[in-house]
Amino acid sequence: MAAQFEPPAPTRLEPVQPATSAGLLVVPALVGCLVALTLGIYGRLHSPTGVAVDIAGFSSPGTVKAWLASAAVVFALVQVGSSLVMYGKVPWIAAPSWIGGLHRWSGRIAFILTVPVVVHCLYALGFQTYNARVLVHSIAGCLFFGTFTVKMLSLTRRGMPAWVLPVLGGAVFALLVLLWFTSAFWFFSVFGFKR
Amino acid sequence: MRIPTPVITLIAGVALFAGLLAASVHQVSDKKAALAAASASAAASTSASTAASTGATATASAAQPSAAGASATTALSPSASPTASRGFVVPPHANYVGKVQGNLGSVAVVVHDTFAIAYFCNGSTQEAWLKGTPHDGKLSMTGKNHATLTANYALGHARGTVVVDGIAHVFSIIAVHRPSGLFESIAIVRGATVKAGWIVLADGTQVGSLEPDSTSADPAAQTAPKLDLSTLTAQDGSTTLHATPIDAETGSGF
Repeated sequence: MAAQFEPPAPTRLEPVQPATSAGLLVVPALVGCLVALTLGIYGRLHSPTGVAVDIAGFSSPGTVKAWLASAAVVFALVQVGSSLVMYGKVPWIAAPSWIGGLHRWSGRIAFILTVPVVVHCLYALGFQTYNARVLVHSIAGCLFFGTFTVKMLSLTRRGMPAWVLPVLGGAVFALLVLLWFTSAFWFFSVFGFKR
Repeated sequence: MRIPTPVITLIAGVALFAGLLAASVHQVSDKKAALAAASASAAASTSASTAASTGATATASAAQPSAAGASATTALSPSASPTASRGFVVPPHANYVGKVQGNLGSVAVVVHDTFAIAYFCNGSTQEAWLKGTPHDGKLSMTGKNHATLTANYALGHARGTVVVDGIAHVFSIIAVHRPSGLFESIAIVRGATVKAGWIVLADGTQVGSLEPDSTSADPAAQTAPKLDLSTLTAQDGSTTLHATPIDAETGSGF
């Protein structure tokens, strides 16, 4: 656990105080809020074009997004599983040496898969509020990228309280699943499993 | 200074985001240019003959861009002359129908002089009626529940995007004559306004949806009964629905 690692250098002894450690979250949280607000405000102000860049191999923009989002959710499930193993929550599995790498790379892939989706959402469709599904989806989309930013920036800070990463990671996962249910799942249930 | 890897991940995401956004902006302007180029050939062949006569020759040259759809003919009225502007040949009257990308539904766009009606449906719950004013070969239409349609149209073909229920459907469709086209039926059944729409494609296949209560702000839809094209009727339970063509050439339904 990197968070509990204390460098043995006696010359720079910095006692970790509870107030300071929670305060370390302030800057990442502010940056995350900025990301969420920027996406939301852009999605609201930009007038939707209906089209964005094509991705080869799929029949329509809707199917591209549904499959990319579904793939991201699969990698996010790997995220949850690998973090449970890393935190020792799965008693019958001892964390292998590569579990950290698996966690980092599944997360990177999941995140990168969501980027083409959000570009299409923001550029072609915008932040919409006209029914419950699109409202929940729009808000969750902004919060997802905001929370993801907070989580990634928190990783760079030493001395955070132990609950920070599990809570942020859980929130990112929950938001992604909510996004998937209000878009890809709905899409497949309406149009069927089209590629 | 060494940049922490989580920050690199974020930077990579932002870079991909910016790149795709820039590509999207570029592609939208590219698509407009592509349509202008496609219409330019039609414009060139039409303008050569416009001086002599308008009707028959314009129809003949209009067959060129519709080569993609073998059975299609243009819906240009013989009495109306097309107007050429910015390289587009803009027919005053035209019926366009076709499937959207990915076979997720069909769309019909009917332009009649200064007014246009469009309908998207997937033969089930996804559908929208849209209205708009054509301007210079461009359409920007709106419907209930925030449905929007933007398209460029020219002799023989139209392309654009219709957004229904938060899904963007991209289409590139061809001009057709009756019996292909758009059909509508409005009936009052037990106090509710039942509105049905059918799109008949160039190959004769049809797709239709029905709103059991179309006056609501957010009308729900279901599969429409099959439209009999010889009698223009459809049987919805005990109710016989009488359909009207929405036809650019005759102005029916406008």
